[in-house]
Amino acid sequence: MSFAADLRAVLADDQVLDHPLDLHVYAKDAGVTPGIVAAVVFPESSEQVAAAVKIAAKHEVPIVARGAGTGLSGGAVPTRPGLIVALTRLNQIEEVDEAARTAWVGPGVINLDLSAHTMPLGLHYAPDPSSQSACTIGGNVGTNAGGPHCLAEGTTVSHILALELITAEGEIVMLGGAEPDPLGLDLVGVVVGSEGTMGLVTRILVKLTENPPEVRTLLLAFDSIEAAAAAVSAVIAAGVVPAAMELMDQPMIEAVENFKSCGFPITAAVLIAEVAGHPAAVDSEAAVVAQAGRDAGATEIRIAATEIERDLIWLGRKSAFGAVAYAAPDYYLHDTVVPRTRLVETMSAIYEIGARHGIQMLNVFHAGDGNLHPLVAFDAKEPGMLERVKAAADEMVRVSIGVGGALSGEHGVGLEKRDLMGEVFSPMDLDAQARLREAFDPKGLLNPDKILPEGSRCYDFGLVANLEPDSLK
Amino acid sequence: MTARAIEDWQVTAPEGAASEVLALAPPDLDSVARVLEWASLEGRPVIPWGGGTHMGPPTGAPPEILLLTSELNRVVDYQPDDLTLVVEAGALVTDVEALLAERRQSAVLAEHAAGSTIGGMIASGVSGYRRLRYGPTRERILEVTVATGDGRVITAGGRVVKNVTGYDIPRLMSGSQGALGVIGQVCLKLWPVPEASASLSMEVAAFRSLYRPLALLETERGATAYLAGTAEEVAGQAQAVGAEARAGLDWPEPLTQSTQIELRVPAPLVAAAVEQVRAADAESFRAQHRVGVVAAGFAEWSDDRLAALRSWAEGQGGAAVVAAASKQDVDRWGAPPASVELQRRVKEAFDPRRILVPGRLPGGV
Repeated sequence: MSFAADLRAVLADDQVLDHPLDLHVYAKDAGVTPGIVAAVVFPESSEQVAAAVKIAAKHEVPIVARGAGTGLSGGAVPTRPGLIVALTRLNQIEEVDEAARTAWVGPGVINLDLSAHTMPLGLHYAPDPSSQSACTIGGNVGTNAGGPHCLAEGTTVSHILALELITAEGEIVMLGGAEPDPLGLDLVGVVVGSEGTMGLVTRILVKLTENPPEVRTLLLAFDSIEAAAAAVSAVIAAGVVPAAMELMDQPMIEAVENFKSCGFPITAAVLIAEVAGHPAAVDSEAAVVAQAGRDAGATEIRIAATEIERDLIWLGRKSAFGAVAYAAPDYYLHDTVVPRTRLVETMSAIYEIGARHGIQMLNVFHAGDGNLHPLVAFDAKEPGMLERVKAAADEMVRVSIGVGGALSGEHGVGLEKRDLMGEVFSPMDLDAQARLREAFDPKGLLNPDKILPEGSRCYDFGLVANLEPDSLK
Repeated sequence: MTARAIEDWQVTAPEGAASEVLALAPPDLDSVARVLEWASLEGRPVIPWGGGTHMGPPTGAPPEILLLTSELNRVVDYQPDDLTLVVEAGALVTDVEALLAERRQSAVLAEHAAGSTIGGMIASGVSGYRRLRYGPTRERILEVTVATGDGRVITAGGRVVKNVTGYDIPRLMSGSQGALGVIGQVCLKLWPVPEASASLSMEVAAFRSLYRPLALLETERGATAYLAGTAEEVAGQAQAVGAEARAGLDWPEPLTQSTQIELRVPAPLVAAAVEQVRAADAESFRAQHRVGVVAAGFAEWSDDRLAALRSWAEGQGGAAVVAAASKQDVDRWGAPPASVELQRRVKEAFDPRRILVPGRLPGGV
């Protein structure tokens, strides 16, 4: 039987797409690179995912898991004619355990829906990517997604206790557990952030976080981005780890104000800081942030006095990517991380690169983590523009690596940064990662061509390999 | 490996190790890798050794070579303003925490760590009581450099606090029991130490009214909540629950019994686990409420007691782990995890000749 016919033998008609027009829709995520799709399936149970994986394995068709398609690094884009397993129909919030502060959810549950669901219990799901009203928890697991509030609470991996995994062989395996320190190797930590290269996740036990009794949200204005970055470093150095510290530069502030009118001052930089916790603590922590701001030359400091004012500040921050659509038809978003002590010099270098290449750049980023998101707005139809954008992008990544930074903080390596992995890791380091991947996916069918550059698994090392090459396969 | 190198690096076997092992303390991680490569070629089982404080009962094949990290003990790079520390694995936890305390920072490792090394604490998967607030130790391993079973020296992760560049091998090293490689160096994420802290004796039932405590512990002598934060916050919380606050954190002493069993259960079952260890005649216990760990010490070994506790814990979806035993040949872990086949394949990706503590991981991996 053909591949599609095999799929239709185990799935209903409305669960399989193979019309070229449909396939075209699923050839891209929110990044810039399209791929090639052989078929799309919409399984409605773990068993159906396992069945689809077995069929793809039989036909040697690559398997690419997909959530809401909001990923930015090409993680859900098949590079060869592949099967897209869209997990959006596995969207049940199965079981919320209030006493344990946990919930079993399907990978298709939308991030914000989970927090809305648990709100009456005074609990929320802490990772809050900007796309949280659209992105899925399964997709968040795939990329180890972050968000503004990961500064104090940690990224997705800190909030995942157990996973049901469909292996490359189509077996259903449980990893982790509701108990602390489940026995054996921490395979949950390997799967989270693995972008679908270790297996497909069909059920997720998430940790829920107590809503803070009190919150103070501050908006600080600065007349240079360097001054704002210095304030961020000073807060960390003062021994306060706020719930969030987000920075926006003037082009981004203007774009947001044009889009939503949140009342942000039009100035060189705005720092949004939030402290959350016990009522007796938030005011003194807010004072530390304000003092760091004043010392760094803040021109204005606002503390949200009402819930409405607080919501307006966060609306401004979370509208940033929508606002960019007003500025230009295409955008390219970076995601490097630098040590927080190197923020000021890195920002200066990034502005210099943008100016030299003559590109329009807007900045909004998780300053407290050192996680930069320079965003280049452009029109891809303008001749030579894409090349300039990519050349500038390459330089910005190298600047970040040069100060001891990382390629990606939360979006994932995917396709976009795969070929830069060799800038960060040695051939032997990449080989070790490739061996780990092979342990999960010996035939290389799970989201191939992602994360690791071609040829990563070819480092035959030393005497042990020469003695028994077969044992290393 | 030359006979000369072995001679140069050989030391007396540390206390607690079998005396017939060849104990080596190589001067750097490349030398550690050479030993591992040689051991892989020769098929000799190796046990990595930090401070020897958390080895647990002997499990798996008896080692022929004992690899000490005692010569790898430098602080490589401390960035207080970035809250990161790069340190070699053989450094003592107490030395490192003393250094960090000068800047009012902490790596939030186990509170009782006399003699323990950074690498040993990570490999044995030990977390401190403060995990309730700050998460387990594996949350704070940003970068590792490891010598694998077949003698490759690899680095993964990075020296930044948020990173998805490649697979999370640093986290995988936590609790790996030395079965994947010898940890040579790590970058740890640090936390500032809050300005005030207090210990409050109280009833377990009153724990629920506290916001974000550091730890909620119960022992055979009663229950204590540990708070930290601003002075107003700590005083305000203590006043609200009507408990007398003792300034500072008076952690309970570690268990001393020769038989120790640790129950790991879903967090709401801690009270039930305490009932279990009391009924099993525990002399002493340390229960971590809202975390799910209850460690208990017993006067003497009993196979029946382990079987009963294990049967209960596994029935709740948890485990009963033998942390210390006065008897040889005990089953340290109990029922292996469902992913045991994947675990075996992951081990072999790092240690293809299976010379590192073979059989030490659950399920004989």
